[in-house]
Amino acid sequence: MSVPAYLKAGPFTSNVLVKKKYLIFYLFQIWISIFVIQFEFWWYWNLLYYNKFIHFIIFLPLLIFVIYISLLFVSLFFTKILLIIVNLFHKPREGVFLRTPSNKDYRYWSIRNTIKKWPAWIAHKFPLPFLDNICFKLFGVKTQFSNSLFEGWVDTEFIEFGKNVVVGQASVIQSAVIIGNLFIIRKTIIEDNVRIGAHSVVMPGTHMKKDSVLAASSLTTVGQELEEGWVYLGAPAKKYKRDVFFEDGLEEIIAEQEHDIEELRKKYKELYTRRKDKQV
Amino acid sequence: MESKKNSKASKSLKPEVFREEMSYSLILSFMILLTNYLGSFLVPIAVFMLYFFLYFLPNFLEISNFIAIFTEIEPLMALLTMPLVLIVCYLIRLYFIALITRVIWAYTESKSPSKNGIIPRNIKSKTEKFYHIRSFLMKYPKNMFVKGLFPWLSNWLYNYIGSMVIGKGTSFEESVGNEKFAIVGKNCYIGVNSTLATHLIDGVWGNISYFQIQVGDNITIAGSNQIAPGTMIHSNSYLLPLASATKHSVVKGDHHYYFGIPLRKIFDKKVMNYLGLTPEDLEQNKISLENIEVMKKPNKENKKIKKKQEKKEVDSTQLKLNEQINEIEYENVDYNLDFTTSSAISRINIKFLAVYLPIFWISGLQVAVLFYTYTFFVKNLIMFTFFLPFILFVLYFIFILGCFLYSKLFLILVNLLHKPKEGTFLAEIGDTDYEFWMLRTELKKIVLWLMRNCPIPWADVLAFKWFGIKMDFSSYLYDAWCDGEFLYLGRKVVVGQGATLMSSMVIGKYLVISKIFLDDYALIGGHSTIAPGTIVGRDTMIGAISTTTYNQILEPGFIYIGIPAIKLKPNKYAESRRDIIVKKDVDKEIKFDIQHEVNIEEDKKEKL
Repeated sequence: MSVPAYLKAGPFTSNVLVKKKYLIFYLFQIWISIFVIQFEFWWYWNLLYYNKFIHFIIFLPLLIFVIYISLLFVSLFFTKILLIIVNLFHKPREGVFLRTPSNKDYRYWSIRNTIKKWPAWIAHKFPLPFLDNICFKLFGVKTQFSNSLFEGWVDTEFIEFGKNVVVGQASVIQSAVIIGNLFIIRKTIIEDNVRIGAHSVVMPGTHMKKDSVLAASSLTTVGQELEEGWVYLGAPAKKYKRDVFFEDGLEEIIAEQEHDIEELRKKYKELYTRRKDKQV
Repeated sequence: MESKKNSKASKSLKPEVFREEMSYSLILSFMILLTNYLGSFLVPIAVFMLYFFLYFLPNFLEISNFIAIFTEIEPLMALLTMPLVLIVCYLIRLYFIALITRVIWAYTESKSPSKNGIIPRNIKSKTEKFYHIRSFLMKYPKNMFVKGLFPWLSNWLYNYIGSMVIGKGTSFEESVGNEKFAIVGKNCYIGVNSTLATHLIDGVWGNISYFQIQVGDNITIAGSNQIAPGTMIHSNSYLLPLASATKHSVVKGDHHYYFGIPLRKIFDKKVMNYLGLTPEDLEQNKISLENIEVMKKPNKENKKIKKKQEKKEVDSTQLKLNEQINEIEYENVDYNLDFTTSSAISRINIKFLAVYLPIFWISGLQVAVLFYTYTFFVKNLIMFTFFLPFILFVLYFIFILGCFLYSKLFLILVNLLHKPKEGTFLAEIGDTDYEFWMLRTELKKIVLWLMRNCPIPWADVLAFKWFGIKMDFSSYLYDAWCDGEFLYLGRKVVVGQGATLMSSMVIGKYLVISKIFLDDYALIGGHSTIAPGTIVGRDTMIGAISTTTYNQILEPGFIYIGIPAIKLKPNKYAESRRDIIVKKDVDKEIKFDIQHEVNIEEDKKEKL
């Protein structure tokens, strides 16, 4: 419900800036989309400032809201155009690439992220999640308005969502990951009714099928398939039990529950592989 | 239910532990913040006002013909330069924030330099005082840079202030930590939500571990990693997501991969399995040194490096693993709710705008009227500009207060229609409890959001109290994901950075709502998840990256850790020795003790 004061979360655009000149795109986008504020304000000023000052004051908050929404849509429009042009030069593709400035895929990934930053930033400046969803849709992510992608970090390309997906607090859904000097892009698919727990990480290429659950603080591996109707747990995620919570009439069973934590720990232990250190 | 929880939690405790009441100098902190906020506004707002009144107003706003904006040169220039002036003013403001922070930082460093060591938290000392001032000082600039329009500038910020040393080509994603007392080498990548936590609190009355983190060159920390104080990561080590280091770990690096909580070295076979890579890919990875040279001069020469194109197939070992798991039979249907998911159904339909718009309009109206009065009474342009930052600060809070008031009004109305209650409900449109839960969530969200995004985010306690959560100002939770209802916090509760408190949880098609109860002096570790119905006893600590399960009860006076959190040992940090630290070599899997000086003035040492 409330995001930490330090964080933005929401649509994730990487801060990796391979070359400083990509900032020109960014500045250009800001520059051109601020015009809309000026035009609207000019219209409003000429309409009301000298004739009906009381009206000017009364409708000012509403105008600011309208300005905000229109700023988002204008910036989205220019972003889409820029994205189409950039993708003409180099089509985004999946694969394993090198994390060096000489690698074209890595460079263009950085450019795409820089371009998407401005609209994603505006859309997330205000707690209206459907603005985030509009952003995702225009960036080419298949998603529904019923999804909540507001409190975790969700990559903005190569991702497909079904409906009714819950992305937990602080969870990270990636389609691109940097490990060492390698840079991996794989398409992540998340189907209907998937629940992703808090603080868990979904790696690129994960395919979460219908009704599957990834519990809190878990991690999937690259290219892992999560079967339909199972709860996965652990790092890396392993099958834990069947997701029976889509059945009817479980209210009372859920309400009266207490666990033996030591027992549970034994159960979990195999899933979260641990190791004891030798004492010296 | 309530009384049962109370009696369970208030059993215990040893009263003989030495406890000196800590008090943060709130007024001093507020003064620092105001200096930074107002001081940084002066120049940019003067520039903007000059431009606005002397050029933009006569040449653009007062042109009555729309076509003339494009045909005449001056209006057109005004149109084209306005965004640039805005951006420049914004950048000037960022610079002044950094400058003021740097000056104050240098002053505190001269009074009490930051150095490695354990700072006792229950004894008042100069070291502790300046440590807290420095922590506070960094918050505002960090928020402005990282959450602002130009997050790339944050590396420059840390280097400029001198709080961190960051090499070239290193990029940070957003995170709750990563702001001070670390050395990071060249060409590193620190992923999203990864924290270089240079300071850790062991218990509310215990110690503050404050040790430098050293990170070498060409290191990747993939995401959601937590690195504890005193950790040394040598060059060319690659941390997979969620790999987290305990205190004083030493990671050898040298092209090895690390994984797990706590992190350990894993072999190439496993790496290929986890990441879907081929042996050739791993070989490619090792040519890092050349890569760094490439970074320096991105020329045409390095096109020789072959690019990988093929899409990888699923690894055969992975398939085998899956098969093995398939063989295990699950006979009984298990209805136990022994795993934790999340409560993040934050969907707002467009219809919620019907609630949001009036709230914003009316609270915005107050602000507009007040601003009008200001312009009416202060006609002098210089005075107008000079007091504007302060007025903006005040108006912002008046706006938030308006939102407080009207959302509370709506909330009372909503609660009259349907009383909020704990229990299990269907998470589907049509269920009254679920729909009202969403409505409540969204109503509270605006205020909490505004509070967390204002210059004083830690004042969000006000918002929580306003919405009927029992807590007081001695507790902190501004750096946590936190649900806004069915929550009880005792005195001096510390909720760690990036932790999640959920009083509701979505399981399958059910929504579970159950109250979280944190008793006095409880401490929730960073990045841990607290499930609904958790009861945390007095003086209990939960370690970082732990997870509790639904309706779990944590006994008073113990340390809990793990997924799920289990009892580790009694919480005796206030009595423990502070001059010994345990170093850990991750690669050789050994631990050893090292003597270390306690970070406190000489005359306070007898109190230890």
